[in-house]
Amino acid sequence: MSLVMEARSLGKQYGRHWALRDCTLAIPEGKVVGLVGPNGAGKTTLLHLAVGLVVPTSGSIGVLGASPASGPAQLGRVGFVAQDTPVYARLSVAQHLRMGAWLNPGWDMGLAQSRIEQLDLDPRQRAGTLSGGQRAQLALTLAIAKRPACLVLDEPVASLDPLARREFLRSLMEIVATQRISVVLSSHLIADLERVCDYLVVLVASRVQIAGDTGDLLASHQRLSGPRRDAGSLPASQEVIEESHTDRQSTFLVRTSDPVHDPAWTVRPVTLDDLVIAYMSRSVAAPRHDDRPQLKVMS
Amino acid sequence: MIRFTWLQFRVQVMVALAALLAGAVVLAFTGPHLASLYSSAITGCHGGSCANAANNFLSRLTTTSPYPTVYILGIGLIFAAPAIIGIFWGAPLIARELEAKTFALAWTQSITRARWLVVKLSLTGLAAMAVTEGLSLMLAWWADPISKAIVVGGPYPFGSVFAQGRLGPFIFATSGITPLGYAAFGFALGTAAGALIRRAVPAMALTLAIFAAVQIAVPLWVRPHLLPPDRTVVSGPSFFQAAAMSVGTLTASAVPGQPEAWILASGPIDAAGQPVSTIPVACIPNLQVKTTTPNLGACMASRGIREAITYQPDNRYWPLQWIETGIFLAIALALAGSCFWRLGRRRT
Repeated sequence: MSLVMEARSLGKQYGRHWALRDCTLAIPEGKVVGLVGPNGAGKTTLLHLAVGLVVPTSGSIGVLGASPASGPAQLGRVGFVAQDTPVYARLSVAQHLRMGAWLNPGWDMGLAQSRIEQLDLDPRQRAGTLSGGQRAQLALTLAIAKRPACLVLDEPVASLDPLARREFLRSLMEIVATQRISVVLSSHLIADLERVCDYLVVLVASRVQIAGDTGDLLASHQRLSGPRRDAGSLPASQEVIEESHTDRQSTFLVRTSDPVHDPAWTVRPVTLDDLVIAYMSRSVAAPRHDDRPQLKVMS
Repeated sequence: MIRFTWLQFRVQVMVALAALLAGAVVLAFTGPHLASLYSSAITGCHGGSCANAANNFLSRLTTTSPYPTVYILGIGLIFAAPAIIGIFWGAPLIARELEAKTFALAWTQSITRARWLVVKLSLTGLAAMAVTEGLSLMLAWWADPISKAIVVGGPYPFGSVFAQGRLGPFIFATSGITPLGYAAFGFALGTAAGALIRRAVPAMALTLAIFAAVQIAVPLWVRPHLLPPDRTVVSGPSFFQAAAMSVGTLTASAVPGQPEAWILASGPIDAAGQPVSTIPVACIPNLQVKTTTPNLGACMASRGIREAITYQPDNRYWPLQWIETGIFLAIALALAGSCFWRLGRRRT
């Protein structure tokens, strides 16, 4: 299986601070990948490394089998929509499309113009006067009309209102449906991505907590609730991701490939939201290797 | 990329062209009359009388509106143009992309960042040089009668706006080819400051501060030493008489026989070659006793006091122009190189 993105021990240091450290991941081609993690997990750094805006301090990253931004051809194969969807405020919508045509040999002006028309944008309007949703759509149009094989979006909907968010994701799904394209998009909220993603990567503090097809992930995780018992008493095949206890009852979110037959449990399926939250909070609770100062209790 | 650079840059180009046009209109309206003033002033002169005629022309010009004003404004504009360009073209070039986050758009098109930077820097840099040199050539055309009069009559009247020859600090840096060097330097300085600080406004302030410091430092401490200066010793009473009478000091205002030479240092020395810091008491003119004012020049000369002058002769103008322009072009290239280094390896 060819990979759209592959990172090996990838790290990026700014001054003395590691924005991303020892990150290893492999994402298959042809998926719509949700990269989820809390703020500060290193998502933006990872995506900037993937599109070649920054170079790694350590390790390596490949996108579509090549080094990011290694030349015009590689740049042409990767479309990027940056966080807050920046565009040139003083240039008009039409001028942005012309910029795309001038700077990208594979530019599809028909696609760009039909999208602008569909979105009901005035080509003469300056980009600085567009609403947040319109600006995001313009940025998406620029990224997609260069006909990339891979589209990378960094928190594209984070700053949009719910309506604009829905419109943007609908556009994205249309693109995925009509073009053979891999998509990697990040968010700190899984709810944004749930409807569009078929692959999920949970990134916390530079580490991939879990990655896989959403269907597989949902199938391999269960929520168990029943009389109170200790996590250690669960079978070895059931990895406890999250546990919570009351005086009499215990609830576990477990990862297991086997069906759960224990009649003491009430078994319920998990949602992606549950899953992501469980993995995020597990990694926060678990001891981590990093050089951030730890809070110490002085006595 | 060339077309896109033009799309982003055309407003600035229009502003610069408007400024050039405004300057051209002012100069075109006043230039021909200035030329006719000069030609009528020197008509019929021959030999030594031409120097007097030229001096009279310059002397009258200092009080003839609007010529002194246009001359000063023109020189001031050429002097300031590289700084203005560095501030408004250079500093925002990279810093604005970083501030507005549009670098993420610009550098993810199908064009490498190095090429983006090469095109931006070379096109904008060439425009900066063209605008500044254009202003300089326009003023040189306009001020041609003044330059001629200074060559014929020597800088005159002393201390006025027309008293600088082409080696004078204000004329040298705004004439010939030095505007090319300063324009490239100012632009590259602004761009590099923007790439370093990553914010346009502080980069603008830094550009102005550094450029102003350079403009002060170069004529004071750098240009005099680009080529080893000449030294001459002048003796005779008439020199001191003239120097003391016209300027009120014992420094030389002109090298005898070389009216346009650039004097770096001058002062009286005694017979042993040691500098003389004070005028001998006997030679000080007593202003209260008008009838017995001693002849200062003769008095100094009789004590063996002579004037030592360190200077750059006028014929060093073009060698100095080439050297100074070359230095600033080299610095500009180095600063441009620093932008590549800064954008290539550091965070964006």
